[in-house]
Amino acid sequence: MKSILAIIILLAGFLGFKNLRDSKKRFFKELLRQVPYLIPRYFV
Amino acid sequence: MADYDVLIIGAGCGGLSVGSLLAKKGRKVLIIEQSDRIGGCCSTFEKDGFLFDLGASLIEDAEVINWAFERLGTTLWKEVDLVACDPVYTVILKDGTKIKYPISSEGTAQAISKISPEDGKRWFEYAKHMQGFLDAAFKGFFTAPVNTVADMVKMFARTPALLKYGPMFAASYQDVIEKYFKDERIRESLSYQTFYGGLPPELCPGYIAMIPWSEHDGIHYSKGGMIGIPEAFMRCGKKFGMEVKLNTLVKKVIIKDKKAVGVALSDGTEITSDLVISDINAKKLYLDLIGEEHLPRLALIGVKSYEYSMATPMFYLGVDYEPPLEGHHTLMTVPMEEMSDYWWNQYKKNQYPHEQFGIISWTSGSDPSLAPKGSHVIILTLAPGPYKLNGTTWDKEKPVLMERIIEYMSKKYIPGLADHVKVAMLSTPVDFEKRLLSPEGAIYALRQDVPHTTIFRPAAKSKSIKGLYLVGASTHPGGGVPTTIASGMIAEDLIEKYE
Repeated sequence: MKSILAIIILLAGFLGFKNLRDSKKRFFKELLRQVPYLIPRYFV
Repeated sequence: MADYDVLIIGAGCGGLSVGSLLAKKGRKVLIIEQSDRIGGCCSTFEKDGFLFDLGASLIEDAEVINWAFERLGTTLWKEVDLVACDPVYTVILKDGTKIKYPISSEGTAQAISKISPEDGKRWFEYAKHMQGFLDAAFKGFFTAPVNTVADMVKMFARTPALLKYGPMFAASYQDVIEKYFKDERIRESLSYQTFYGGLPPELCPGYIAMIPWSEHDGIHYSKGGMIGIPEAFMRCGKKFGMEVKLNTLVKKVIIKDKKAVGVALSDGTEITSDLVISDINAKKLYLDLIGEEHLPRLALIGVKSYEYSMATPMFYLGVDYEPPLEGHHTLMTVPMEEMSDYWWNQYKKNQYPHEQFGIISWTSGSDPSLAPKGSHVIILTLAPGPYKLNGTTWDKEKPVLMERIIEYMSKKYIPGLADHVKVAMLSTPVDFEKRLLSPEGAIYALRQDVPHTTIFRPAAKSKSIKGLYLVGASTHPGGGVPTTIASGMIAEDLIEKYE
C-alpha cells in the first residue's frame, strides 16, 4: 500500500513538474541541484 | 594573556559595526584591513578631483542601520549627513518608456496607473503584503541569529507572523512580481531589484521582491560618498578605544585545540586574541586562512559546495557637463525574461555585452562637492559580469568595452555623454578581486538563493572553530549595507551571550 502511495506521489510530482513553465522548472532545478549540499552546509 | 580581546579581519560595514559595538562593551578590539581604506564595497575613492563610490550606491532600510547607531548611543542621522533620494528611481524601459517612481506610495500608484490602472490598484495590495513581511522580518529575521534549527524554531515562535510569508521563500522574484502586476511594462519597471539578491528574476528568492516596496520607506545617499557610513562606525568605535590597522594582510588564523587564538600577518607577525571575527568571504576564510585540516569532514564538504555570488562591473565617469538625468538613480531595464536569458546565455557562457541594463547613479546631483565646479560624477552599475571571459581577458577587453559602453549610453540614456568624459575607469570582477581580495569579485560573497540562506549560510558563530565569529555578506542575513550591519549586531549579541 505504501509503495503504491509513493509511486502515486512521485508520478504526481513528475507530471506537475512537467507542466511547469520553463522558468519555474529552472528555479526548482537549481534548488534540487543543491539538495545534496544542504546537510553539509548546515555544519559550517 | 592575549594581545586583544577581539581581533577582526576586514574593515567592511560588518567588521566596523561589530567592532565598535564590542568596543563600547569594554572589549579591546583591533580591526585589520588589507587595503588602504575602510568600508569594503561601501567605500569611496578619489581620481583627478572626482569622488567615486566603489560599489554600494544607496542606503536602503536606514532603520536597521540606525539600530546599530542607537546601540552606540547615537543615531544614524547624527553621524552621517544623509540626503533623501526622491524620486526613488527614474526607470527607462527597453522600449524607451520612462516611469518616475517617487517616495510617496500614492505617487507610485499614480505613476503605475498612467500605464495600467489595474496594476495601480494592485500596487496597494502588493505594498500591504510586503509591509506585513517587513514588519515581521526586520526584528524577527534580519537582526536575529539563524545558526541552528533551534534558532529557526525560536524565530518563528517569537514572530509567528513570519510563517504567513513562507511561500515567498519557495517562489521566485518573478513569480511574486507577476502575481501582483499584469502589465509587462510595470513588471519590467520593478525587475532590476532582483539583482540586489544577486540572481536573475527566475532564480532569485521571492522575498527579495519586497525591495521595490521597502525603497518607498526612503532611500538615501551619504554626502561626501558612501564611505560616510563605515567612517561613522569607525569614529564611534575609536571613541571606545577600537583600533584599526590598514594595509595589513592576514595570512592565517591561528588555531589551537580547535579554537581561534589570533592571526598571523603576511610579514610573519602574530597577534593573539580571545576571539576572532571574520568580515571576509567565508569560503576563503575556511579554506585559505584556516585550512582544510581544521574542519570536520561534513563542514569541509559544505564549505567547498558554496558558490560565489555574481560580480558587478562598475563604470566610474567624471564629466565636464551637467548630465540630462532626472534624479540620483536611473534604472535601465529590460523585461524579466531577457534578464534571465542574459544570465543563462551570456553571463553563464562567459560573455559580456556592451548593451547594458543596470543603474545610473548621478551622485554629484545629490552632492555637488563630489566633483570639481561645473563637473559631475556618474557611476554605472552594470549587468552582472562573469569572472572569466570566453577566449579573452577583462584586461584585453576593457578599453574596447569602455568605448562601446560610453557610445551606447550616449545614444540611449545620457545624451552628450561621449563628448564630455574627463575621467573613465571600469572596475571588472578581476579588479574587484584584486582590490577587495573578494574571490571572483563576488559582491555578495556567496549566492543568495534559499540553499545558501539562513541555516545553510555559514553560521555567525562558527560550528567548527571555537572563538570564531562571522559577519558581513557571507553570513546571515547576506549581502548589502543594512544587512551586513545587521550581521554586526547579531555577532555582538552572540558574543555577549556566549563569551
